[in-house]
Amino acid sequence: MIDNYVYVIVALLPLAALMLVFQVNPYNALVIRAILGAVSALVYAILGAADVALTEALVGTMLAVTLYVVAVRSSLVMRLGILKEFKIEKESYFEELIANLRKVINKYHLRLEIVEYSNSKALEQALMAKEVHATCIKQEQEQVDTQNQNSTTGIDIRQTYHTTIRVRRLFEIMKTELTFPETTLDYVTVSNEEDKH
Amino acid sequence: MDSILIAMILALLIPIYEAWQDDNIWQKMLAFASIATKTSIMMLVISVLRDDWSIGVVAVIILSVGEAGLMLLAHLIKQCRLG
Repeated sequence: MIDNYVYVIVALLPLAALMLVFQVNPYNALVIRAILGAVSALVYAILGAADVALTEALVGTMLAVTLYVVAVRSSLVMRLGILKEFKIEKESYFEELIANLRKVINKYHLRLEIVEYSNSKALEQALMAKEVHATCIKQEQEQVDTQNQNSTTGIDIRQTYHTTIRVRRLFEIMKTELTFPETTLDYVTVSNEEDKH
Repeated sequence: MDSILIAMILALLIPIYEAWQDDNIWQKMLAFASIATKTSIMMLVISVLRDDWSIGVVAVIILSVGEAGLMLLAHLIKQCRLG
């Protein structure tokens, strides 16, 4: 004999599963996976399988979700290498550029991590050694003589940034979606010969 | 006694709806906390109804360990949103 409430509780399981399937954000999907684990532990318990319910709650809800959050957090990231003096200068253009980058990659559920390097040679080496996915350096367009003229007339010097990306997909995303005129984008291929030995 | 459980299932549908329609991650975590506690309490009620001690022990373990897992998950998500 099966009680009536058992049917209602079992019907919650496909409901939670459909919620999980139609979720696109990875972090939200993991939280809903935890909800699915709690509901399925209840279903297993009322059907009489107490050991399966305990395993589902401990492994399915706790361990798997925690490990997946750690994995998603460390893989869905774009590491941007910058020079240390950028941070000290506190330029408005740079802050704006970082905000723009963050807005573009947030659409793809990525996260921006900024890595600081002391000089431009270390920055270049980090890009080649695949420590960072992209680098951002400053380049000044004006000549020295025009700079002097500007300082006398009081017009500020226009600075632009040069962003180098070594991941093709990131470069395609940035090329189509980053609408910030103060930076130029560049794609560079990094040979992976260190993987061979 | 069935009517108590039907009322608990209806109460369980409220956080499920909240988890479905709100896109904020912390609202979803809140709904998850609500669902995890409610399902464990439902298991306890069913174990008392059926006079089945093994389900009751499992429900208590899930109730206490589930809260610990929730805190761990909240710390991990908080770190990746800030950093």
